[in-house]
Amino acid sequence: MKYAFIILLFFSVFALRAQENESIYTKKVLEKVSVQTLFSYYAQDGQNAAVTGGEGTEELTNAAPTMVVQIPIGENGILSVDAGISAYTSASSSNVNPFDRSASWGDDNDHDDKYEDHDDKSFGSTQALSYVNRNQGASPWVASSGASRSDVLAHFNPSYAHFSEDRNTIYNASLAFSKEYDYQSIGFGMGISKLYNEKNTELGLNLQVYMDEHDPQYPIELRTGFFDSNIRGEGTYTNAFAAFSQTKRNTYALSLNLAQILTNKMQVSFFIDAVMQEGLLSSPLQRVYFADKENFFIDAFQLADNVERLPFYRYKYPVGARMNFYLSDTFILRSYARYYADSWGVQGLTAEIELPIIFGLNWAVFPSFRHYSQTAADYFYPKEMAKSTDEYYTSDYDLSAFNSQQWGVGIRYKDILGQLSLWKVGLKSIELRYIHYNRSNGLSFDQTALGFNFDID
Amino acid sequence: MKHIVIVGLLLFASSCVAVKEYEKVYINAEDMVLSARGVCKADISSHVYREGAAGANGGKMGGGCGCN
Repeated sequence: MKYAFIILLFFSVFALRAQENESIYTKKVLEKVSVQTLFSYYAQDGQNAAVTGGEGTEELTNAAPTMVVQIPIGENGILSVDAGISAYTSASSSNVNPFDRSASWGDDNDHDDKYEDHDDKSFGSTQALSYVNRNQGASPWVASSGASRSDVLAHFNPSYAHFSEDRNTIYNASLAFSKEYDYQSIGFGMGISKLYNEKNTELGLNLQVYMDEHDPQYPIELRTGFFDSNIRGEGTYTNAFAAFSQTKRNTYALSLNLAQILTNKMQVSFFIDAVMQEGLLSSPLQRVYFADKENFFIDAFQLADNVERLPFYRYKYPVGARMNFYLSDTFILRSYARYYADSWGVQGLTAEIELPIIFGLNWAVFPSFRHYSQTAADYFYPKEMAKSTDEYYTSDYDLSAFNSQQWGVGIRYKDILGQLSLWKVGLKSIELRYIHYNRSNGLSFDQTALGFNFDID
Repeated sequence: MKHIVIVGLLLFASSCVAVKEYEKVYINAEDMVLSARGVCKADISSHVYREGAAGANGGKMGGGCGCN
């Protein structure tokens, strides 16, 4: 109800502005309702799962249908709604509880089926272990079959852009909501763009704020009361774990953008961002194994010494540029470069190039290549390299030093003459894109995306 | 990075004459837009999760823990 009120208030302010000057004829900034749908399928594999402390399967699939609807509001406004879901199945997150071999754990009608814990299942008794299929055994290289192996992230992002009569000033405002099982985010943003020099120069400033809330779900062996009679190791299993007292995460991002037309066939843009994050920046699911602690196992699964601990603050400073060049009626060159640095010691370089090849009025092909490299975060340690006396540590290989290459190809069909229109719905284009991504530390993924763009009269 | 900035400044300096609206037929081509194309939205989302330097330029800066 609170969100509904905020949305109503937010858009009514802009709707009032849109009603101004109705008596003066101006060409609409958007003539028809425009709809873009996108369905993507992602499949990943790797050997360095963060949930299992840097060693373990990273097998993951994700299916994500999204839709963006743009609606003209008066002559000068565009209301956009971006909504979608992202449904994943992950071997590593299934190992939050690697001893779960029964999908029926999700059926006990309580609030925490996804990360079922000892409170509901009497983990302190040997009876609880009857849920583990001892023939399979727990292992970081094998997915558990419990409910935590899959989740759905849903997002809903409405935004409004208001253009001045001369189209030289654009105001925009946006809201953002997203929710998954253990994480929710509320955000808002606002910005202004000004065009100068006969619309050859555009200067933009944007501010975005996100206020997120974590519902920490810890590895099963770190939860209070955990006991298993099959623990193997020297001595008695203990750990240094203490639950996080902070569960909120705030993000503030300021972005400055400058775009310039250089010639009638070339244009360039530069951006610089300043991002501050504060709060719980660690992922409570991600195990860490210390060099100075004994190792304990159940089956082949090593029990955690702690979860990752990362600083309360993170400051990020990316700068980048895009340059597009209309080489001919057949070839266009699109390029992108970015340098990134943050307060955790990560520095990244991205370079991407795409060469759209246009065949007549209807068809185009888009080969592309992307190179990325980064240095490791100051707090990254491979498995059993961090010490229990360190203040901060993680074995998340997304924060390790690596480089990656991505190859891609896309194909687009544009329905110039509206031959595929049906009733009031006119197809504009269909685009299919495939990418293959390889990281130097062994992770790879393939992704296919299919998009449809159409207008509604 | 220094070289990129210098090249950028030189290119800006060379663009003293404004391109008129009627000369923008190439600039206004769909593939000349100075932003990622719509179908690449899925790529950006994947990079945000799998790269330490992501999350500061588009994509999900706030929502989503990306922990799997």
